Order: sequence, then structure tokens, then C-alpha cells
Amino acid sequence: MAADVHSKQEVSKIDAAERRIEPPVRPARTSSVRKTGLIFFPAFDWAISPTHPEREERLLYTRDQIFEEGLMDFPEIVEYRPRLAELKDVARVHFCVPDVQSQVTEAHLIAAGSTLVLADALMRGEIRNGFALVRPPGHHSMRVVHGNRGFCNINNEAIMVEYIRKKYGIRRIAIVDTDVHHGDGTQDIFWHDPDVLFISFHQDGRTLYPGSGFTSEMGGPLALGRTLNVPLPPGTTDEGILYVLENLVLPVLEEFDPQLVFNSAGQDNHYTDPLANMRFTAQGYARLNEMLAPDMAVLEGGYAIESALPYVNTGIIQAMAGLDYSNVREPDYVPGRFVLTSEMRRSIEATVNHLLTIWESRDDLVAKARQEHGRVYSRRKRIFYDTDMITEGQEETLRMCTECPGYLTVSTQAARGYGRLNTAFCVSVPLFACSSCIEDAREEYEEHKSEMKYDYVYLQEKPSDRFRAYCTRTRNEIVL
Amino acid sequence: MFVGIDVGGTTTNAALVDGNRVVKTAIGPTDHQEILGSLLRTMDRLIEGVEVERIERVVLSTTLITNLIAEGKAERVGLVLIPGPGVNPMDYRFKTEPVILEGAVDYRGREISPLRDDQIKAAAQRLADQGYRKVAVVGKFCQRNHDHEIHVREMFSKAAPAIEVEMGHRVSGRLNFPRRAATTMLTLATRDHYRRFAEQAERAMRERGIKAPIYILKADGGTLPLDKSLDRPVETIFSGPAASVMGVMALTPEGQTSVVVDIGGTTTDLALILSGKPLLSSKGAKIEEMLTHVRAFAVRSIGIGGDSVVRVSDGKITVGPDRAGPAFALGGPEPTPTDALMVLGLTNFGEMTLARKGVGITAKALGCSIEDAARMIVDTVVERIVDTVNMMFLEWEQEPAYRIWELLQRTKARPQNVAGVGGASPPLVPLVAKRLNAVAIIPEHAPVANAIGAAVARPTMTLSLRIDTERGMYTVEEDGTLGEAKGRNLSLEGAQEMARRLLRERAERFGIQDYADEAEVVDSEVFNMVRGWSTVGKLIDVRMEIPAGIITSWRGEHGS
Repeated sequence: MAADVHSKQEVSKIDAAERRIEPPVRPARTSSVRKTGLIFFPAFDWAISPTHPEREERLLYTRDQIFEEGLMDFPEIVEYRPRLAELKDVARVHFCVPDVQSQVTEAHLIAAGSTLVLADALMRGEIRNGFALVRPPGHHSMRVVHGNRGFCNINNEAIMVEYIRKKYGIRRIAIVDTDVHHGDGTQDIFWHDPDVLFISFHQDGRTLYPGSGFTSEMGGPLALGRTLNVPLPPGTTDEGILYVLENLVLPVLEEFDPQLVFNSAGQDNHYTDPLANMRFTAQGYARLNEMLAPDMAVLEGGYAIESALPYVNTGIIQAMAGLDYSNVREPDYVPGRFVLTSEMRRSIEATVNHLLTIWESRDDLVAKARQEHGRVYSRRKRIFYDTDMITEGQEETLRMCTECPGYLTVSTQAARGYGRLNTAFCVSVPLFACSSCIEDAREEYEEHKSEMKYDYVYLQEKPSDRFRAYCTRTRNEIVL
Repeated sequence: MFVGIDVGGTTTNAALVDGNRVVKTAIGPTDHQEILGSLLRTMDRLIEGVEVERIERVVLSTTLITNLIAEGKAERVGLVLIPGPGVNPMDYRFKTEPVILEGAVDYRGREISPLRDDQIKAAAQRLADQGYRKVAVVGKFCQRNHDHEIHVREMFSKAAPAIEVEMGHRVSGRLNFPRRAATTMLTLATRDHYRRFAEQAERAMRERGIKAPIYILKADGGTLPLDKSLDRPVETIFSGPAASVMGVMALTPEGQTSVVVDIGGTTTDLALILSGKPLLSSKGAKIEEMLTHVRAFAVRSIGIGGDSVVRVSDGKITVGPDRAGPAFALGGPEPTPTDALMVLGLTNFGEMTLARKGVGITAKALGCSIEDAARMIVDTVVERIVDTVNMMFLEWEQEPAYRIWELLQRTKARPQNVAGVGGASPPLVPLVAKRLNAVAIIPEHAPVANAIGAAVARPTMTLSLRIDTERGMYTVEEDGTLGEAKGRNLSLEGAQEMARRLLRERAERFGIQDYADEAEVVDSEVFNMVRGWSTVGKLIDVRMEIPAGIITSWRGEHGS
């Protein structure tokens, strides 16, 4: 991955010049700095509810373990202070209905802001990689946000990706989601983005929340093959996951050649996790991060707060900092405790081979989709917010532009039980949009503002970094 | 009357305080070979003609421990670790190679795996064969379960009775195993020396008819009765800079934000007082590259002072970090900042013609006038100090935060005052203050501010209580106390009550019970422990503190 970063840098430099965005800074991994940046934000004063898995206690034992280990004192590790993300950083990714303020608490802004602090440190070359060991998590948050789903309100990685792309002129990024649950939020946000490769491996969606993440979900018509889902049989061991890494993730990354690689780092594949059924160990997690060598890891789920998290986090920090992690092991673990059955192995191999075929034919798939859908592509979706018990209906429409990734509109209605919540019309213009898409998107926004069909109308203009929200009742427009 | 004595690197300063007045001061040289002698000689000059019966308290601050460690005179200490799973213990880079034992305890103090007696015996034998007389035994999380450390000590006392063993949990109960190991080793390495010094100091006082209690100043600006400090010598390290900070606290208005600048011959010590509270180093002092648990003010030393050598290279001035002798004006061989200050008429500490001659060397190398060279030298010094102060504020602002309130509450701070203490401060501090947009304060008695600070400092104490109601136990971080805590439904108020009681008991043990009522709760939180959707217990943390402060009688009529 590190190879040939120079020429890629130059490519993005040209892009940057054309689009008049800030010139790119060298990503830190090309420099000689050897430090790993760490933000530990356990949010000891925040919970979804007192007995919810996402509560104050979640990272308490992890704190005890990593502080007792003295990890923060190692010269290879530098600890940063978190900050609050700005509302605009959230609006760059999400359509929060009715507005950002009503969907986030300070804790959410700090978790997201932590990734931005590390992103800046990475791009300034202060650190060679970073780990945002923060809560609350974010990878189930989709583009449109009516409430909390899967313990998530806003998507920390997505906010970091768009921040880095806007601020530093980076274009191609890969996100590898290693949480046991399908990263359906991140998938939704980058579904139509051919420059963001999203790979998620997770416990088979037929057996676990959120019930998605099948191999057939492979991206929007212009970004086919840039979303890859690896459903794994319950009980998959270190061996199984490392097989996926070696035989699918690493080769695909090498070919995609991203400028940056992020690990959406859930820790619930662990064999003791109460919410899932996998057999991954702390050693496995450390090895995974060593092999993947992400520029940044961001904590997602993981709810075995005593039996897994203290050890898994110690292992990940050590692996990222290049320290010896061979002495990390859970109290009840003995080597050879878990064995991958031959049946599981065959099933994983078949999945990997199938996905490799999709990956290799991605350009053909896009060409075919163009023929099939012509100028406009649309799909309908239903989304369930488990935490907040909200049901959302969406119709998504993509302009199948030949010059750029195309702009997207989403019409959305949310309801709780029989109570209608909000309706909204959202227009999203991607960062690398062409001028005609930008113009048409603006027009659509204006048109919908004058109709009374929706409660809210939004325009997310990433190229100019302007985010408009219009309330049709008050006729008030807010620009971030 | 209170006596304060600071045995510093170059001079020994003493001050006699009566109520809110400084009645007498004395300054003498420090002889590193003879710390006690230096102390007594200066003190004798101070108390000459004073009715010693009127002395109510004597507070000492010395470089004894610092010197022992820096000069390699501390004793050899062996290290036995019980690291359990986690970091490879060899990655900690201790100065001695540790002996590693199997066995482990987890973050809640539960045994994960047992010790092996054969390994302990072999370790004792090996360390005895290597000639170690002192051994530190430190286990990861053993502050939350003492059994392993105690068992190792017991086995050592049988297998190698000549070896003195100290256990990590007795030295500190704070999280951070490698720091606990380093602090335990330093404690063992300096304790005998310190004990001898304390005994001799005590005897010398009694011989002079001083019956008043004797205290030692700690690195966190608090005093501790000398006899109670014998077990914890490393806490007295860096008491010199702490004395200066306490001196500034005593000599400046209460509650303000100040930079303490102590400019000496070759070093400048900088410290911050934020809204009247001296800033502590967040994790503990660094002693000779060793990270420890010693609670200490966040003092930054830079290698620049009145006697630092001034050089010119590539047309640029550099100052320090070395010293070639006294200032040129006092017969030294190289130009120094002191000479530059003389040329500019900011001080008159020597021969002006010599000062001009010294700065002339710099001027010639730069190709400018002597006055311009002097200005550039002084600017370079001021710049270094200002940059370091700004960096210290920035680092304080950037300290990690683990709670929402911690993150939201900290705002930017800027200094209101720059307070200069120490010999070389008076001419430079106004220049530093101007650059920082602050008021320069050169307190009366600035050269002996540290001795005054020692004289009027009051005790400090912290108490960090953790209660695990599910396990029915509590631990105290400061000394690893461990006990039973009854009642699953203990409330936060109940826990705070318990912390208050434990603090009072601890204060009594240390002979500072008069201050127990000053203790305040600085932080407390409750974690509900939920297993399988039902609450099985609580983890409660309460932190209490008697912060660094000045004795009431001094504040009496001073006000601002």
C-alpha cells in the first residue's frame, strides 16, 4: 500500500489545483515519524441509558488496563486531547432531521471531533498512525439521521473521511469495517462513491443485527464493487478472519491503492462478546491491525467490557505502535482453544472467491449498470432505528452523470409507531461533482423549497463546503 | 516564628518568619559533599541572637535525594516483576534487568493465575548471588490485591533473609505499573541515606535547643513531619522548585495566575500557578529519565541562566547550556547574559569594563556594536523563556480529558503576573513579563523566596478511594490500603463520607490532622456495573485533596 504514494500524491495535487481546494499535505506514513497518536475518550459521564451496553462503564476496565500498562508513557505513543467536532463537520456527511443539534449530544461531537484531531495530526505528519479509542460509536449511522440506530447517532469515520478529503485534498480512501456487525451506516454513506472502497466483514446478517451485509450489496450503479461485504459464519475464529484479510482485503487494497486506509474497529468479534457469536481473540485483533496497518483506527462496538476490551485494546495499541503484543492474552484463553471447522473454512473460501470475482469485474459491472439505468437510477429503502424505534422510508435518486459520480437526492419520511415524525428532501452534491451536476442540484433544492410537500429541504454542497437547511413551515434557511 | 531552609544547587537560603513578616534571612554556599553541614551553617547564622524557644516550626527543603540519584550514589536495587498478560515487561527499559515471575492479577484485583514458589525461590537465590541487598517486588494490579507481593516478600525473607524487600503497593496504588516499579526502586535506593540525614538533622536541631517540630517539603509544595517522611524519601525530590513556587504564592496576591521564573546560574526553572493553584505534573515527576508516581509541581527546567556561555555560530547567538565560570564581569573566561545585562545598565554585578570586554567578543563575531550585541543576547534569553512559558500553557490546555465536563470546562489561561525569584531574575523578569503582556513582580526578599515558601507552606494530602461494591472491597491509591466495604447500595454520599474518614485517619498517621478539615472532594464518580441487563454493583471513585497552600498566620493581614 505504501508503494508509489508519490505518484498518487501528484495526481491528487492536480485534482486539487483544478478544484481550487487546499493543497494536499503528505500523509504521515510517507514520513519518518514513528509515533502512534492516541485519543482515549471513554466518556465516563455519558450513557444511552443506565443499563444500556453503551454506558459509562464500557471503557472503565480498558482505562485501568492501558493506564496500568503505562502505554501512554511509551515514546512510540503520543496522547492527544479530544475536541468537539463542529456542526458543519457533521452536516458535511449527514442530513440530520430536523437539524444537527437535535441529533447529537456533546459526547457525539467529542467522539467525532477526536477523529478529526488525529486526522490533523496524521496529515501534518506528527504521527504515523492513530487510534481513536472513543465512544459513542458511529458505523450504523446512515446518510439521513432521524435518530439513534445500533447505538449510533453520527458516523465518526465518515465525518473524518469527508473532513480529510475537504481539508487536505485526498481523494481515494479505503475503510475496512472489522466490527462484528455489518457497517450498514458507512456503507450507505459511501454507497455511490467510487473513490471510497468500503469492505466490511461481519457475522452473517441472517444471524445478527442489522440483518444486512450480504455479498449482493456491492455499491451503487456507478460505484459497483467499491462496496464489498464478507458475511462470516457464526463461530469464525482468528484463522478465518485472517484468511479473509490475507486473501481478500489486502490484495484488493493493493489494487485500489488508497491514499489512506481506515479501520472501523469494532471489538465484538471477540469470543466473549455478549451480543455476537464469533471466536476472535485479542491476539487475532492485534495481528489484524499489524497486517492491515491502517493509518487510523476508530473504535466501534465491543461489549465484553471485562473479558475482552482491556486485552483487545492493549493489543491493538501495541500493534499500531509497533510494540511486541505477544504477551497479551485473555485470562481464560489457551492457544488452540478455538478451531475453524472445515465446513466454515469452505464457506469462507467460497465467499472470498465470489467477492474477488465481483472486484475484478467492477468496471464491467458499472458499464452494464449505465446501459441498464440510463440517466437516472433510483431505489426505495426502509430503515429501522432499533434504539429509537423509528421507521424510515426513503427514495434515493442518483443522476447517472458521465463526468462525475453524480448528485443524489433522497426523499425521506420517518414515523414512530403510528406517529408521523418528519419528512425531508435531501440533495447531496459529492466533493468531486461536475459543474452541471452542481447547478442542477441547486435547482432541485430551490424547487423543493417552494413546495410544501416536505417539512425540511436540505442541500449538501460538498465542493463549496456549504450546507443549507430549509424549514418549509417557518421559511427559514440555515447555512452552515 | 517559622524557619524555612532551602538547600539548593548553589546556595543555601534561610528565612525566619514571624506572623506575616520576614524578620531575618541568610544566604550561604551549598557544599554538595556535605548537605547537612551547609544547612546547619546557614541556619546558625539565621538563628544567631534569636530566642530558639520561640521557633514553632522548621521546614527543610533539600537537594539530597536529587544529588544521590544524579551522582549515582543511590544504592543498587534488584527488581522482581509479576507482570501478567499485557506489555512485554522487557519493553519497559528499566535500568536494571528485572526478574520475571509467573502469576497475575486483573484490573479488579482478581487472581488470574497463581505464583510459582519454585520460581520465587530461584529469584531470591539469583538476586542474593548477584549481591543485591535491596529488592523491589512489583506486580501489575497488585495495588488491588496484595497477596502476590506479600507472598513473594515472605518467601524472600526465608530464602534470602539479608535482602530488604519493598512492595509496590506500599509505595503507590496509582495505576501505572512501570511507574510504580520505578518509584519503588528509587524509594529503596535512597531510603537509608535519607534516614541518616533525617536523624542527623533532627539531632542537630535538638542540640541547638530547637524543640519545634521539623518538617520536610515535598515536591507538591506540602510539608510532612520529618519522622513521617522516612518511608517516602522520593516525595522530597524537587522540593527546591516547589519551595520557590510556594514562596511566590506567599509573596503575590491570592487567587491569580502567575508564571514563576527562577533564573539561576545555568538553569531557569519555570512553573505555573493557575488561579492560585500551582499546576501539578499530570502523571508524576520524571527523575533522571525515570517516570515515577511522585506528585510534583509541573516544573520545566531550561539550560539557560545568568552564567551560561554566550556563543556565536553562523551569525546567530546561542546561550548555554554550559557554564565556563562566572560572568566575564566577575573575572570569568566567556561572555554571559549577566555581562549583557550590565552593558545595558540593567544590573551592576561586577566590573563594567570587563562586562564590555566580554560582550565585545560577541559583538566582534556578529560585526555589530557592543550595545546591539548585548541587546541581542538578552533578547535570546528572554525569547527562550517566553517560548517555554507559552509551550507550558499550550501543553496544559492540551492535556487529555476523559470526561465531557473536563473537556468543556478548561478554557484558555494567560498569565497575569510573571514573578521572579532567585538571583538573576530581577533584571530579566520585567522583559519576560512585557513580552507576555503581564505584570512583573519581583517580590521583596526574592533571592530567598524559596526559604520563605518552605517556612510558610502547609501540609498537603490526597486520598483516592475506589469502592467495588460487587466484590465488597475498597482500595486507597496513595498507600495501597485495602479493606472490606459493606453494603451493595452504598451511595455516593456514603462513599464520600468514607473517604473523609479515611483521609482523617491517614492525616493522623502523618501527624497533620489539624488540616484534615481543609480536605475537599475534587472528583467523584459512580459506575453502575451491569451484567446481563441487571445491576450487580457499583464502582465508586472519590478523590479528596488538601491542596498546596500557605499557613493561615502568614495570610493574616497580608491580603493583597
